Amino acid sequence: MAKSYQTNELHGIIQIDSKICKGCDSCKSFCPAEAIDGAYGATHHINDDKCLQCGQCLVNCPFGSIKDTSDAVDEVIQKLQDQKTTVVAMIAPAVRVALGEEFGMKPGELVTERVYGALKNAGFKIMDVNFAADNTIMEEGTELIEKIQKYVLNQPQEHELGPLPQFTSCCPAWVRYMELYHPDLREHLSSAKSPQGMAGPVAKIYGAQEIWKVPPEQIYCVGVYPCTAKKFEASRPEFTSAADYWKTKGHSAIYQDTDVVLTTRDLARLLKKLSIDICTVEPIEEKDNPLAEYTGAGTIFGTTGGVMEAALRTAYFVLTGKELADLEYAPVRGLQQVKTAEVPLKLAESGREIVLKIAVVHGTKNVEPLLREIEQGISPYHFIEVMNCPGGCVNGGGQPINPMGTSWVGKFKAILPWS
Amino acid sequence: MKYNYVEKAVQVTRREFLGMTGIVAAVLWTGAYAVTDIVEDRNKYIKMRADGLYKDDEKHAVRQSHKNKSLMSMYDKLAAKPMSPLAEELFHTKYVDRAIL
Repeated sequence: MAKSYQTNELHGIIQIDSKICKGCDSCKSFCPAEAIDGAYGATHHINDDKCLQCGQCLVNCPFGSIKDTSDAVDEVIQKLQDQKTTVVAMIAPAVRVALGEEFGMKPGELVTERVYGALKNAGFKIMDVNFAADNTIMEEGTELIEKIQKYVLNQPQEHELGPLPQFTSCCPAWVRYMELYHPDLREHLSSAKSPQGMAGPVAKIYGAQEIWKVPPEQIYCVGVYPCTAKKFEASRPEFTSAADYWKTKGHSAIYQDTDVVLTTRDLARLLKKLSIDICTVEPIEEKDNPLAEYTGAGTIFGTTGGVMEAALRTAYFVLTGKELADLEYAPVRGLQQVKTAEVPLKLAESGREIVLKIAVVHGTKNVEPLLREIEQGISPYHFIEVMNCPGGCVNGGGQPINPMGTSWVGKFKAILPWS
Repeated sequence: MKYNYVEKAVQVTRREFLGMTGIVAAVLWTGAYAVTDIVEDRNKYIKMRADGLYKDDEKHAVRQSHKNKSLMSMYDKLAAKPMSPLAEELFHTKYVDRAIL
């Protein structure tokens, strides 16, 4: 039993194949947690106790020697063939701009309707994780607003609230990093679950009652994420809110909120096994499906700065009573490692002016200086977004590899004149 | 002792030397540049995918979470509000200290 995992949590997802590893140390330079052992030139090995399961080593290995060992493709196909099971695919923001690459499309091609079409063809019901991302903003944003009212404006609040600055909690690798390496600061994480954590209960409670009208036990939730750490997150023992809810209504079954997670790569494999090509599939707009309705704020969750920008659009409105003049908030966009900004707010109720101080970090290692500031009690920020993967989820450990040019061997072969 | 002095067979003029050095430098430089290209490609892919998401954002008439009508009607039907007791139960969590596990 590996340390640092709760009972029944999925771990050891990322493994290095010792037959292919050349000991080149590339993976070590991408690992946010120094979890890779092995001297330069010798076969490397992942220390599961320290590993965040983020898969950055996997997408950056020049030799393709690192594998995602958790494969649920066949299990999902089996469930799809079972008439009694309602199989719900929940697709994350960053999947819709990367899945096309596995079918020969240009990177960044937005294929939402084609993904819906392919999933419908395969027999899935659809829920968009972007809906859950909007849900996350409502919860996480409200939490932030209440903290500002409590700590900045000194208005008493009825909820128990963690301290400021508040960290985002959408990224499972970042949450694990905080829990493992800075457990004393974990109260700074927003208590709101990640969109995956919210999507499960939404599907198995609201979806079961109002949308598909089936017993919750017959719903099988398949998360499709650009992320290998989501596989670990889905197995967290706390994430059984739907089963706990139904227990109070006389049901007895026990199940996880999200039953299984596929990465973007896994979904491409599944579709290919079922002979579905998203280039030729009929695009479908899920206009009548309430669980596929999403806003622009939900979809930008997949890129660094996106959660912050989405939260600002709502928090600004709630605090000032006015919409942001320009919804596109440039200071949090781009690939600078740590982005900071100050947002002046004129409060609707009192007319008082406050300045909201925010920071956006991608690449978990870059958050260390900000954590030290909090430990010393000198952190100037109110809200800090952290995404583990450089660039955010669009560059997640579950995204297509070869078209991305991150497998250097493949890339070198492509530029050789005789290949 | 008979001393036979022979001029070196290969003569390189100053111009030829400069020319050849230039070619060698160019070859080395191209190789190094190709490697930086591969590194740069990473960022390019990240940017292309991020642009795809920003395009999706621009495409939507509704761009703020609190204006998602289906989401608001879900809160109504569940008789919940953000951070209400039911929302706390379904949408919030606690974190564990993994250092002691």
